Amino acid sequence: MFSFTQEQKIFEISKIQIGGQPGNLPTVLFSGFFFKGEPDYTKAAEYVKKMYQLSEKTANPVIPDFFIKKEENLQKIIEFIIKEIPKDKPFSVDIIEPDLKIKTLELLSKKNLLKRTVYNSIHIGTTNEERQTLKKYTPEMAIVVAFNPKDKSPDGKIEVLENGANLLDVGLIELTKQVGIKKILIDTAAMAPGDNSGAAISAIPVIKEEYGLPTGCAIHNVVEKSKWLDNFEGAKRVVDAASNINIPLFGGDFAIYGPVENSETVFPIIAWQDILVSEYAQNYFGITPDINHPRRKLLK
Amino acid sequence: MENKYYPWGGEFTTSKDSSCVAVVLLNIEYTPPSTVAIYGPLKTENIGIEKIVANTISNPHIRYLIVTGEEIRGHRSGNSLLALSKNGIDKNHRIINAPGAIPYIENIDEKAIKRFQEQIQVIDMIGEQDTSKLDKKIDECISKSPPSFGEPYIAIRITSEVTTLDDKRALHSKIVIDYMGKIKKRGE
Repeated sequence: MFSFTQEQKIFEISKIQIGGQPGNLPTVLFSGFFFKGEPDYTKAAEYVKKMYQLSEKTANPVIPDFFIKKEENLQKIIEFIIKEIPKDKPFSVDIIEPDLKIKTLELLSKKNLLKRTVYNSIHIGTTNEERQTLKKYTPEMAIVVAFNPKDKSPDGKIEVLENGANLLDVGLIELTKQVGIKKILIDTAAMAPGDNSGAAISAIPVIKEEYGLPTGCAIHNVVEKSKWLDNFEGAKRVVDAASNINIPLFGGDFAIYGPVENSETVFPIIAWQDILVSEYAQNYFGITPDINHPRRKLLK
Repeated sequence: MENKYYPWGGEFTTSKDSSCVAVVLLNIEYTPPSTVAIYGPLKTENIGIEKIVANTISNPHIRYLIVTGEEIRGHRSGNSLLALSKNGIDKNHRIINAPGAIPYIENIDEKAIKRFQEQIQVIDMIGEQDTSKLDKKIDECISKSPPSFGEPYIAIRITSEVTTLDDKRALHSKIVIDYMGKIKKRGE
């Protein structure tokens, strides 16, 4: 468990705060919707409710992360957000195709949703057209993915954030600022096992000390790609949820924990870990937990 | 997985080492016949493609690479592989004219890519779902019985310099951590 010398920034979106010294704010959880198969909106609406109940129960804020796979789904997913996500809560949109990212930004602007939007994500594949669109329709917050295809170590991740690693004309942090996004979350880009998967975790304290920006990752992706786990019945889901504790343990601020279906396990695991971190951080570094922290909510 | 023909490992199945055909599966439920050398899925337009290049040029018998199934949305990995075969990479290691989001080849060198372009004919069957047509195409390639390309080419995996831990570095060379867990930048 750590504390940082560099000042740690805290950003807020629709009343959810992310960042700071370990032990202060609870870990923010990003829950994934519509990643596999065709969207089931009825089921998703049930999961939205369940997810907020769990968030209320543990005090870990949650931000639903909507994967928009194809243009045909765009309109319906935005309608779902308008209908099911309370107006005072944020959400994030996760899109791979550059063209679809542009169309999504336009629609979010039209629906007046950009103030509640976490844009997932800006990375080395971000096109010039996307940059121009982001300037015009600027989301409140963005996740910047520190993926560097030629160096997956923490140094490589910093290189891509700092100067674009010769793949871009400018570093990813500067690029994000240039388009007008001030609230930046760093995703340390979890890679598959065998491809320096541990670097996504060890990079968290390095990046936080370097930039003071809220940092986290989708470490559960490593579990998904650990095919050998299939030989252990029932283990994958447990390991998937448990993998997330690495993030607060290494000083991280948010976990993109994968399918919302895993919420029931992920929330208590993270709340448990947040309590552990908070107790140490208060005793040794004098960091008091926020008024809304699992330690205050669950330890009476 | 260590295999003398396919030293880079990955999620693949091998059948007949002396076969001239390899098959790349995008979104498709299909098991190629045992007459092919190797087959497996392709997901990403960077690391996934690198593994395919390394694991085909290492077996000189492979002369055809059939790419099939529905394209991977966003990543456009199938078409990025076709672009690599056709155009190679630019000075920033980006696959020229690849449609994928992050089509960078960083872990294998240009020599290996050149060898891939020369040894392997990539056959575009993206979008094909009729497995009988795929079986037929595989048979057709095998019936041509092209000669082996010669010696195996073992692509060297380009890796970054490893930091040694002989000077009490904890976690990373950029930071130091005291016995209680306080982190600060090294040298400050």
